[in-house]
Amino acid sequence: MQETLAYRPCAGSTTSTSARPKGGQPDPKSACNGDGDFDDRSVQKMVSENAAIVFGRRGCCMCHVVRKLLLGLGVNPTMFEVDDEGNQEALLLHQLTQIGGAPAGEEKLQLPVVFIGGRLFGGVDRVIATHISGELVPILRQAGALWL
Amino acid sequence: MTSPSTQFVTSRRMNIYEPFHQINTWVEGYHDDECPDVSPLKVIELEEKLFNQSEDALHGALTTSNKYDQEACKPIDKVQRRLAQNRKLHAKAVCEKRPTQQDLYVGGVIDHLPFAGTINSGIAEFEMEYGHWVEEQNRQICELRTALHAHITDKDLQNLVDNSMSHYFDLFRMKATAAKADVFYLTSGMWKTSAERFFLWIGGFRPSELLKVLVPQLDPLTDQQVTQVCNLQQSCQQAEDALSQGMDRLQETLAETVAAGRLGEGNYVPQMTNAVEKLDALVSFVNQADHLRKETLQQMHRILTKHQAARGLLALGEYFQRLRALSSFWASRPHEPA
Repeated sequence: MQETLAYRPCAGSTTSTSARPKGGQPDPKSACNGDGDFDDRSVQKMVSENAAIVFGRRGCCMCHVVRKLLLGLGVNPTMFEVDDEGNQEALLLHQLTQIGGAPAGEEKLQLPVVFIGGRLFGGVDRVIATHISGELVPILRQAGALWL
Repeated sequence: MTSPSTQFVTSRRMNIYEPFHQINTWVEGYHDDECPDVSPLKVIELEEKLFNQSEDALHGALTTSNKYDQEACKPIDKVQRRLAQNRKLHAKAVCEKRPTQQDLYVGGVIDHLPFAGTINSGIAEFEMEYGHWVEEQNRQICELRTALHAHITDKDLQNLVDNSMSHYFDLFRMKATAAKADVFYLTSGMWKTSAERFFLWIGGFRPSELLKVLVPQLDPLTDQQVTQVCNLQQSCQQAEDALSQGMDRLQETLAETVAAGRLGEGNYVPQMTNAVEKLDALVSFVNQADHLRKETLQQMHRILTKHQAARGLLALGEYFQRLRALSSFWASRPHEPA
């Protein structure tokens, strides 16, 4: 199951653990939702195989902000969301820290977390700051994340 | 009801909505002439009188110790300072009236008052600090105005610009602390005057609106600057839209949480618990909105020359002063007889 996590096609569903369609065209690289089955390897795989991926908590509105902003720039970011029950969030953050390293400024990682071009980019703070300074779009372009 | 909350809310409304009486009293301090009666026309005449007032009288009245010539400062700044002082003193009085220990959160929704609110020491502290902040802001605006008419060194101008920028950043820091105390206080714009509140967006000014106001004041801009400013306007708008959409989502989520289960049973403790958790997200939104405001100011600073930045900051400062003045004028306009 973990192997194919990244390749599960988006499917509409009413249960809380199933995928909700995100973005436009079905994309083999989209992992629509985590359902609790994620480990270091699958997370690493998602990070390396997606030009832009956003890790977040299900239902988190700040995650929605990051996604909307990236969509507006012509990026179709992969979304990976965990339930806010149990220690899924802590586990995911632990894995992301291991993969991405500590973020600049020695602060702890907090969801939502964005990876661009296989590297840790940061949270909503950094997305907004780099967007305003004009640095974000070139980074996205270089990573091949822009569709336009 | 005579709880501290009621007193505070009622008299704060008076503070906001009856500033003309205050202007009246303070003006008497500088002017031995007749006391204007309560009408907007008289307010305007009064303002004109103040504007034409001799510079000596003004000079004597000003006690700031900055090294630049204060003569160019308009008396309206003094009025603004007094308004701010009054706000500060009032907040202090409220603090002193509270019967319980500093840390106690004095909550209480007063249904019949339109501006029902809760008070806690974090907010009272913010109100006081904000009073200081506005005073300092008015002083800095004065300083910028004088400096731009005089011939000061580049270094001194840079210092003024840097101080002005950090002053805004101080406000964002104060707001971050206040957001933890009571985020609804910020999202309702309780510390702002009524006209400022009309323009409220996630607890503050809308950066894209600000750029629209500022940019025409900055002519002439080089071609490169024009492009950079255009790009900034666009990215600012995009970030704002994303944050607004996030806020809409938060509203939907909160409404769902509050309305969960059967409405009408009269028992809703679990819904309250869930809803309170969701409200933590609102704090992040206010923080991110302020972060956007800060980044926008910083990017403008990068694009502009020292001189343009000084002009921009002066324009920005006076724009907010005008909005505050508008609130006062509006409050003192004649009312229809009952």
